[in-house]
Amino acid sequence: MQSAAGMIGAGRRVVVTGYGAISALGIGADALRQGMRDERSGLKTITRFDASDQATQFAAEVADFVPGDWLDRKASRRMDRFTQFATVSAHEAVTMSKLDVRLAPDRVGVVTGSAFGGVETFTASVEALLERGPRRLSPFAVPMSIANMAPGVIAIELGATGPAFAYSSAFASGANAIGEGMRMIRQGRADAVVAGGAEAPIHPLIVAGFAAMQSLSEQNDDPGGAVKPFDLHRDGCALGEGAAMLVLEERDHAIARGATIIAELVGYGATSDAFHVVQMAPDGEGVARAMVLAMSDAGIEPAEVGYLNAHGTGTAMNDAYETIAIHTAFGSAAKDLAISSTKPRTGHLLGAAGALEAVISLQALEDGVLPSTLNLVTPDPACDLDYLPGESRTRDVQAVMSNSMGFGGHNVSLLFRQART
Amino acid sequence: MTETSSNSGHARRVVVTGMGGLCPVGNNAADIWTAIAAGTSGIGPITRFDAEGFETRFAGEVKGFEPSEVLGRKESRRIDRYTQLAVAAAREAVAQSGLDIPAEATSVGVLVGTGMGGMETFEAGTETLLTSGPKRISPFFVPMMLANMASGTVSIDVGAKGPNFGTVSACASSAHAIGEATLMIRDGRAEAIITGGAEAAVTRMGIAGFNAMGALSTRNDDPQAASRPFDLERDGFVLAEGAAVLVLEEREHALARGATILAEMLGYGTTDDANHMVQPAPGGEGAARAMNLALDDAGITADDINYINAHGTSTQLNEKLETQAVQRVFGDRAATVPISSTKSMTGHLLGAAGSIEALITISAMEAGLMPPTINQVTPDPDCALDTIPNVARPGTIARAMSNSMGFGGHNVSLILGAPDLDL
Repeated sequence: MQSAAGMIGAGRRVVVTGYGAISALGIGADALRQGMRDERSGLKTITRFDASDQATQFAAEVADFVPGDWLDRKASRRMDRFTQFATVSAHEAVTMSKLDVRLAPDRVGVVTGSAFGGVETFTASVEALLERGPRRLSPFAVPMSIANMAPGVIAIELGATGPAFAYSSAFASGANAIGEGMRMIRQGRADAVVAGGAEAPIHPLIVAGFAAMQSLSEQNDDPGGAVKPFDLHRDGCALGEGAAMLVLEERDHAIARGATIIAELVGYGATSDAFHVVQMAPDGEGVARAMVLAMSDAGIEPAEVGYLNAHGTGTAMNDAYETIAIHTAFGSAAKDLAISSTKPRTGHLLGAAGALEAVISLQALEDGVLPSTLNLVTPDPACDLDYLPGESRTRDVQAVMSNSMGFGGHNVSLLFRQART
Repeated sequence: MTETSSNSGHARRVVVTGMGGLCPVGNNAADIWTAIAAGTSGIGPITRFDAEGFETRFAGEVKGFEPSEVLGRKESRRIDRYTQLAVAAAREAVAQSGLDIPAEATSVGVLVGTGMGGMETFEAGTETLLTSGPKRISPFFVPMMLANMASGTVSIDVGAKGPNFGTVSACASSAHAIGEATLMIRDGRAEAIITGGAEAAVTRMGIAGFNAMGALSTRNDDPQAASRPFDLERDGFVLAEGAAVLVLEEREHALARGATILAEMLGYGTTDDANHMVQPAPGGEGAARAMNLALDDAGITADDINYINAHGTSTQLNEKLETQAVQRVFGDRAATVPISSTKSMTGHLLGAAGSIEALITISAMEAGLMPPTINQVTPDPDCALDTIPNVARPGTIARAMSNSMGFGGHNVSLILGAPDLDL
């Protein structure tokens, strides 16, 4: 039995052998890949509820998602929408990896992130309580609401009995889960970990909550053109829903079973601003440190990183500070770095954003096609880097980075590299 | 370079240099221990909302806590109660540790777990939406309800810039936080981590939601007798609120600055049942595996454990299966190893349970006194354990185990050691 974490972790490398994704661009990783090549946005007028009394009336919804098409119908009714997304993505990722979890179930972990958990279940339960009294609640109200039910249900579905729990760092949750999943494998606590994030926040309460903070664009007449990261006229982000999961695996374990290695997860940096509940530290000090930590964890020089999927929310402060942070972390290599924000297409998936953007980054690494930043028309002098305006760019890259940040001052940077011998 | 220790086999050993907590039996670590040592129940009628019409009308509330005194009137109104409790506990822990966080901010992390996050805020927001519409939602709604805000706010409060996030695994959340923090320090990602859990779920949804599952005791006529883990007449857990925070620190780092070492984190094991959303695996299989992993991690065997702080929620199913898990791991010793559930006094702090129980276990080690399980009247033949019934028992605790389990099938076992084990 393997015991001492850390001691035996040295030399254990972590690779990606599968991924799955659901977003407004479609169900499945292939739909995401196509969505990154098309110059189209998944942001549309909200249909999940009547948003006519909301300041922001659009979001990136997963259309035509019928849980029973993907999951056991009865089981799916006992899952909140975020857990349904999580479970479908996990199945896609494991299918791609061809990992047989049941060969050594206690060596497979499940760690996911979600900022809000089961919003629809929780709010519906509160409404039932207020209208019908405390004795009419469903016994599933609590279990369906809690954010750890995504890893709990995935573990049941896959039969994985290793470490399983959720990470919570607001909009860095999914990225934290992937990074910590990698650490688990390095430490020898697991040979494979299903890691990612899921979120289903297109609900009047959450939309109103972000609108009250003035985080959201209010360009209701042009949802597809509303989110404009790094553009001078950016006025906020928009919410998206979905999930993404990776199968992370110890490299020798993957090689021994003949798995196709998609990429190596070589670096992870996580820091805290310790500055403000919802504002970034001045000049993006915390996220700059996360990027530096990820590169030093990987032993990779800034010039080796060919593409950065930015957090890029399209808010005034985020994009300016993230730009300064990229300068700080990359130095003279910053000007040659291809950067884009894919949030104009997918919306902001909150706790799942880091996971979805990890898959987008992996596909860029695989295909040598770097997705553009949609809606970047008028450059902002405060954002002076190459954000891939216009069309997606064909360029082979050796390593890709993905940044995530969350309210509370959480910063995460993930670094993937081409699989090598 | 630190020498490999003879104790747990880990090059970087992790110790506890500070702790703080608030729970139904006391609002700081010393008061909590005084009450626990005396076998005092903190359970009483619900005062945080009008519980008329609810099946269960009692809980374990934190009493006499004035958030504005800790955080100032304006700031305290902008954070949910669970975060207020976390900040108060963290301040106590950091003060005790004497750690100068600003001096080494980037090597100090924060990991605070919670099961439910800002539940009161979430409920109030839903009510506002229903009664007044979306434009009346406060700009503080989102940041107040998020489950990472205890970690985020504590990091701002103490100035810790290292790794920072929350762990969520229902009633194992804070045990996960403490375990993961231990590994982070071992791995060299931080020199110190402020870790634990916080929960403030004594709300309408908290009570009604767990009532709907049939999970709560309904002994409304005698609340202080309601939490009776391992007793045959147990009828459900008692919902409670609170927070507990430990300062974990790399041992050489603590010794170099002359810190007082309260305990050592020897082992951590975590598993998942992959069996059922809310029921433990048959035979306590997942919990037993977590205990064995923790023992392996500590480099010891079950024979080395002097005291177990049980999950012991006071539900029929939990204790039956937890007993089977202890029997799997401890074999012949299962009937004689002292094991108690301090939830009999504190109630069930959900995501903060693992951390308050770690705090109590460390106090017990210091005092050489094993906490009792109160309300032991009728032994359950399915729970043939030495539950330290009703009265605390003097005894040396060199190594203790603390177990936590959560809906979703999450199991965590932590092993704590006395500070001077290898001296």
